[in-house]
Amino acid sequence: MMRQEEGSMTGRQAANRIDDHPVLGENPRQEIVQVLFDGEPLQALTGESIATTLRAHGVAVHRTMPETQAPRGLFCGVGRCPDCMMTVDGVLNVRACVTPVRDGMVIETQRELGTWKVRA
Amino acid sequence: MRTTEIAVIGAGPAGIGAALAAARNGSKVIVIDENAAAGGHLRWTMARQAGFGGAPDGLRGDEIAAWAAGELRAAGVDVLTSSVAWGLFDDSTLGVHSPDASFQLRASYVIIATGATDLVWPFPGWELPGVLTATAALRMVHLDRVLPGRRVVVLGAGAEADVVADDLAACGADAVQRQLGVDGVSAGGDGHVEWIDVDGVRSECDTVVIALGRQPDAQLAHQAQVACTYSVGDGVVVVRDETLATSVPSIFVVGDAAGVGSPERAFDEGMVAGEAASGSAGLSEALDRLGTVERHAVPLPSMPRLAATTLVCRCEEVRAGTLRAAIADGAISINDLKRRTRSGMGICQGIYCQRTMAGMISAEAGIAVETILPMTARPPARMIPMAAMADLEP
Repeated sequence: MMRQEEGSMTGRQAANRIDDHPVLGENPRQEIVQVLFDGEPLQALTGESIATTLRAHGVAVHRTMPETQAPRGLFCGVGRCPDCMMTVDGVLNVRACVTPVRDGMVIETQRELGTWKVRA
Repeated sequence: MRTTEIAVIGAGPAGIGAALAAARNGSKVIVIDENAAAGGHLRWTMARQAGFGGAPDGLRGDEIAAWAAGELRAAGVDVLTSSVAWGLFDDSTLGVHSPDASFQLRASYVIIATGATDLVWPFPGWELPGVLTATAALRMVHLDRVLPGRRVVVLGAGAEADVVADDLAACGADAVQRQLGVDGVSAGGDGHVEWIDVDGVRSECDTVVIALGRQPDAQLAHQAQVACTYSVGDGVVVVRDETLATSVPSIFVVGDAAGVGSPERAFDEGMVAGEAASGSAGLSEALDRLGTVERHAVPLPSMPRLAATTLVCRCEEVRAGTLRAAIADGAISINDLKRRTRSGMGICQGIYCQRTMAGMISAEAGIAVETILPMTARPPARMIPMAAMADLEP
């Protein structure tokens, strides 16, 4: 049932994908794109969320919190809570659970409040 | 300012029923839904459904969602997906942020069909990565075809917990189900969840799914100050009469947003509101049909006693001990507790901590929980960028 997908050069495997869903069958999402997660290339499927791509590759931590520096990951899955927020293409506080991946997207673990540049 | 006769917020079963009924009566209907497609939780429900007027019985939830999208199109309903209705102001005017535009929408009637949110009770370690809600898990497995983990503990004893455990197992996970413990639950791990103790019995795991039940989510109705009451199963809910009218004549609240029940019941409630808002003679028939579908109240697990270090407000990182001290110091309303501690002030707008705050005030100060008012609901009901305000259409 699980696909052994070709991993990236650095070896994170998309081991959690359900290739042959017991009710729904084959995944209609087939177009493979590449994103960068903290500098590491990961294979994603067009149409899926950032959180899905990360989870498929076994990534649990999306950010750390401002007060306690504690790690957080996907929690509500519906765009309500702050736990899956990441820095995406330089934009802070992007909700990974409801934001679709795009080819070439640069996804970074957000540390506390994150870092940003003020536009001139 | 844009206008419509009827605005429906949420395209789940209740919103679908409302929009179809009103549009088939010739009303101009706009539906706003934050998801990428219509269907609400039906999109990640594999169980076969009955009772959706016009749809063949026995379709899966996701198939009903696809059927509904076609019906809405055929009825001429304007469905705005990936769009949020973030505020409900005077004169039934909504603030809407969609991918293409940010605008105000004035409607003769607003039908709030915003569904339910996962009920959660805090426990030590529930903030660890790898602990997620039933909805997050079901969406991941059925919409995204990815397992949230390999060794999964599903926390809960109700029908929804059964569904989550069964679906995860069918998709290849090693899933076990545990009831919310009488003697407590705690989870731990190094940077992500690795174990959970329930009543002193440890399960090693890489994922914990909280599947305790669902609670109505009608923030827009609270913003509009629709009269509310308290129910044991659902918490704070809007007051409705037998025709589903609320205290505000131009606002209906239907489906799980008014009290958690079946998709069939939600659809039928939506039909009633749609008929009423479009001034149709079909209202009495819709009410008759509604009378045949009971809303089954689901008993929810009660709130456990919380250790001082347990996180209550995930957004603002407020712990039970901080709340307990504030309550002892006289903060015996949710608004006051929020002002003093920041609990409930975060991005989730209190949806995941407000019932815990009410439960703590009740337990610590000896106040009946049904008399504790919810916090003042203010826009925005969803996280929106500042650009949503800056680019607001005149």
